[in-house]
Amino acid sequence: MKSARANFLIKVVGGLALLMLCAFIGGGVVGYLSVTNPELDTSSAHIWIIGGIAVALMVGSLAVGAVWMRSIDEAAREAHKAAWYWGGSGGMAVGGVFAILATLPAAAQWNIPSMLPERTDPAVYAATGAFGLMTLMIIGYTIVWAWWWLARR
Amino acid sequence: MNNRLKVLRAERNWSQAELAERLGVSRQTVNALETGRYDPSLPLAFKIARVFDQAIEAIFSED
Repeated sequence: MKSARANFLIKVVGGLALLMLCAFIGGGVVGYLSVTNPELDTSSAHIWIIGGIAVALMVGSLAVGAVWMRSIDEAAREAHKAAWYWGGSGGMAVGGVFAILATLPAAAQWNIPSMLPERTDPAVYAATGAFGLMTLMIIGYTIVWAWWWLARR
Repeated sequence: MNNRLKVLRAERNWSQAELAERLGVSRQTVNALETGRYDPSLPLAFKIARVFDQAIEAIFSED
C-alpha cells in the first residue's frame, strides 16, 4: 500500500510540475510574440493558452482521481461513492433552489455578489454560479463522507 | 451480517493494523468490518477467509 501511495504522490507532483512547465512555456511564447510583433493581438493567444491549461488541469485532475480511486481500499471507495451521490446530489438540490429563485422577476433587483468584485458581466456571473454550485456540492460531499466513516467506527 | 473477525484476530494476537496489512486495506476498514457496520465485497471476503485459513461461512453469518 505504501508503494502505491508513493507512486500516487510521484504522479501528482510530476503532473503538477509538467503543468507548470507547460504554463511557463505558454507564457514565454505569448510574451515573446507580444514583444517581437507589437501589432499582433495576443489576447486570443492568451485565451487559447489559458483554455489549454484549464483543459489540461481538468484532464489531469480526472487522471489523478482515477489513480487515487484505484489506490484506496473498497470501504474508502464506498465512502466516496456515497459522498459523491448523496452529498453531491444534496448540494446540487440546495443549488437548485437558488437557481429556480434566480429566474423570478424579483431576482433582477437582487444585489448578487460576483466572484470577481471588479466585474459584473454575464461570464463572471455564470462562473460565480458554477463555482457556487461546486462549493455546495463539495460541502455536501464532505459532510456525507465524514458521516459515512463516523457511522462505521 | 455477523462475523467472527475480532475473535479470529484476537486468537492470532494480531492488531487491527497487522490484519489490515495482511488484507491490503486500511485499519479503519478492518474496524468497520469488525463492528459489523461494513459488509465486505466477495473478493475481500475470500481474502479474509484465506488469511484466517477458514471457509467464508465459518467467518460470516446472516443476522
